[in-house]
Amino acid sequence: MADTAPASELVTLEVDGRSVEVAPGSLVWDACERAGVFVPVYCAHKKLEPVAVCRMCLVEVQGMPKLQPACATRVSPGMVVRTATEQVRKFRDSNLEFLLLNHPLDCPVCDRGGECDLQDFTQRYGPGQSRQSITEKVHFNKAVPLSDKIILDQERCILCWRCVRYYEEITGEREIVLQERGVHTLVDTFEHQPLRSEFQGNLPEICPVGALTHAKYRFRARPWDLRRTASICSHCSYGCSVFVDAREDQVARYASSDNPDVDDSWLCDRGRYSFPELNRKDRVLSPEAATAGGRQVVSYQDALGRAAGQLLRVGSDNGGEAIGVIGSDLMTNEEAFLLQWLARDIIGTPHLGHRLLPAPEISPLDFELGIAEIEECDQVVVLGPLPEQLAPVLTLRLFKAGTKRARKILRVEAPFTVAAIRKQVIGEGRVGVVAAESDREAALKLRTALTGAGRRCEVLTLMERVNSRGCQDLGLLPGWLPGYRRAPSPGMELPDILEAAIAGRIKALLVVNPGPDLEADPRLEAALKGAEVTVVVAAFPGVASRNATVLLPGRTIVEKAGTVTNAEGRVQRVRTAVEPKFAFPSDLKILGDLARAMGGELGAQPLAGPVYDLLARAVPAYRGAQAGLRPRWEATA
Amino acid sequence: MFRELMGGMRITMREMLNRPITIQYPEEQRPVPPRHRGRHILHRYDNGLEKCIGCELCAGACPVGCIYVQAAENDPEHPVSPGERYAVRYEINLLRCIYCGYCAEACPTEAITLGPRLDLVDYKRERLVATKDDLLEAWPGFQPLPMAVAKGGGPAASQPTPLGAGSTHDGPAGSAPGLRPPIPGRRGPGPL
Ligand code: SF4
Ligand code: SF4
Ligand code: SF4
Ligand code: SF4
Ligand code: FES
Repeated sequence: MADTAPASELVTLEVDGRSVEVAPGSLVWDACERAGVFVPVYCAHKKLEPVAVCRMCLVEVQGMPKLQPACATRVSPGMVVRTATEQVRKFRDSNLEFLLLNHPLDCPVCDRGGECDLQDFTQRYGPGQSRQSITEKVHFNKAVPLSDKIILDQERCILCWRCVRYYEEITGEREIVLQERGVHTLVDTFEHQPLRSEFQGNLPEICPVGALTHAKYRFRARPWDLRRTASICSHCSYGCSVFVDAREDQVARYASSDNPDVDDSWLCDRGRYSFPELNRKDRVLSPEAATAGGRQVVSYQDALGRAAGQLLRVGSDNGGEAIGVIGSDLMTNEEAFLLQWLARDIIGTPHLGHRLLPAPEISPLDFELGIAEIEECDQVVVLGPLPEQLAPVLTLRLFKAGTKRARKILRVEAPFTVAAIRKQVIGEGRVGVVAAESDREAALKLRTALTGAGRRCEVLTLMERVNSRGCQDLGLLPGWLPGYRRAPSPGMELPDILEAAIAGRIKALLVVNPGPDLEADPRLEAALKGAEVTVVVAAFPGVASRNATVLLPGRTIVEKAGTVTNAEGRVQRVRTAVEPKFAFPSDLKILGDLARAMGGELGAQPLAGPVYDLLARAVPAYRGAQAGLRPRWEATA
Repeated sequence: MFRELMGGMRITMREMLNRPITIQYPEEQRPVPPRHRGRHILHRYDNGLEKCIGCELCAGACPVGCIYVQAAENDPEHPVSPGERYAVRYEINLLRCIYCGYCAEACPTEAITLGPRLDLVDYKRERLVATKDDLLEAWPGFQPLPMAVAKGGGPAASQPTPLGAGSTHDGPAGSAPGLRPPIPGRRGPGPL
């Protein structure tokens, strides 16, 4: 806060003898933080409005007869705040004793144990011993399922209201309430209805204690078992930052990590609870090849040699155009870049693709509006329910823009006729249009109409999967080279490649990391059967792996390192959170090795860093963009 | 100098007249002191429920990280332990363990203690990773503890439950923890 206000307007106050400057209207809590003084809080939360109900943060303010809640008191010039006095110490001690009065003290079986604010503050500020016997405690319900995702332990709740306020202020759904009053207060769902929100998974994270816990993480691990890796949620093109918490070779949970420009520290349940898929036991574990004696497990080198030999043979017999290359939007930028290079320069085919939806006309300007910029638009037009289905966390951003920033959110229903929407977009100022990729045409028409009328209008197109945008930026498409340059000879789109393989015009297929939609497409099996040579890199067994003449084990998104690009164009890093169950090279190295075996020279190590440098040379917008920034596309488009 | 030599010789002479203290191990075994920290034992309550609640505090306290616990939720109809949580897997790598007893110290339910068993050798390393089956007290028919009864009269045998520190709370009096008896005719210990 203080960073944006000019120095002359800052308020100077003293915290524990240290002088600090903060913006006017800041809280004493912020001032303490700025002074490097830790104040314990329960009900206060950086993303929620203060309510000052838990009284944990009370501090002494000179001139005020009683202790003041740091989380709700605004600063004033010359204020003198003391947090280390005997009065504060005593108060914290008694407050904790009070909070622990009926607390079950079942830390050993509590999923929060080890990362619980009640444990931590009790250890730091609380009474060492209880004056009350454990048998005198009043008991409430334990392990109440609030839905299939969230489990409530009413005894452990310290009534901080965070969950209630989260539903009020962040999602607007109001599903959790505090029932009764006084000592009988209990947290529960409204009229005992199960929670239906799509954002329940955030509750256990904002709950300062172990009252609300994840059903999917229940008893799975302890905080000290977990290895935390900062990465990106692999579920949609919104690109929320997550911490992947892994226990040995399993992902135990996804935790949110605050990226104010994208997720604003919230995750949707679809993304958060998508990790069990990554722990699937059925994996492609070793290279395999179809030999005269049937299908056999072969060595990596053998598989690579066979793959290269077979592809080269088809290439020399029928020309490069007889080979189709299929990637997927689950690949990292580096892999996508390497694959399109392998296809175009080494194999020599224009037929490559990564998705079933054709992309005849694309432009980086379809993604001009940044996610955080939604809040800056005076009006936001959302075309149908699809954008919010593709990227659920978008709903929270729209809610925030609509409530905290008082922006006008227009949710329009299909059919999206420009004239009809145009009538609703009234007034002056900036307009944002949020659309799913399938409604791109309508969004662009609307933009043309609005900019024609002198309004500033930008579009944000949401795509299907985690790296749909990156694969497009890096030219894993038949008609487009990396950086949105037109390819000299446009090849076939992915559905046409499949048809051509069925018809026998495509003789060989290279399939890397097939996505679920491709796996579910009935044409894939026929295409793979129709092609003479099918080289497949796949993490999970499926149609592609079963029909491969050469199969190489692939990795899931948590097993590899690289970058992905979200819908707004932000280049973000994914990191290796768990080691795969096999000792074979990463997908990126497989592609590099395959290129080399086919006589290609990459000119760099097939590792995420060097390949990124290569791709940044081909796509100038990506230069220096690795720090989680949005590349500037205007210059290259 | 001569005086010192005589002093030394006197001790030697005296000890020559004493009975030898060597024993024929492993046929003969000495009783272990009650607080001996040998191989771990996972205890049960009188009703047979396991004391361990799978909290992993022992694993957290262990300085060498040789304990692996995987917890799971109790089926209320057929609980394994009292309460919500139990250890579905509990393993200790006895080759890494330094027998410090911190795990017993950390345990909130006194589920784990270090017992008298000390002859931990085997031909295979894997077999020295003790699993829950190895560590858990048998129920309901407790096996007699072979080492404690082997000699008799020692401090170990005079205790009803010669388990080491914190052992007074467990099991029916007179019962011994569920170590597997050694395999007959085999020198050295059986599998854990
Ligand atoms: S909420 Fe915290 S203090 Fe309470 S049982 Fe759980 S870990 Fe312990
Ligand atoms: S359930 Fe958690 S977040 Fe909700 S009031 Fe209780 S302690 Fe606070
Ligand atoms: S005795 Fe010490 S080293 Fe051995 S398992 Fe227990 S805590 Fe770990
Ligand atoms: S032995 Fe004790 S400390 Fe270890 S998991 Fe079981 S209950 Fe927890
Ligand atoms: S944190 Fe200030 S009263 Fe709760």
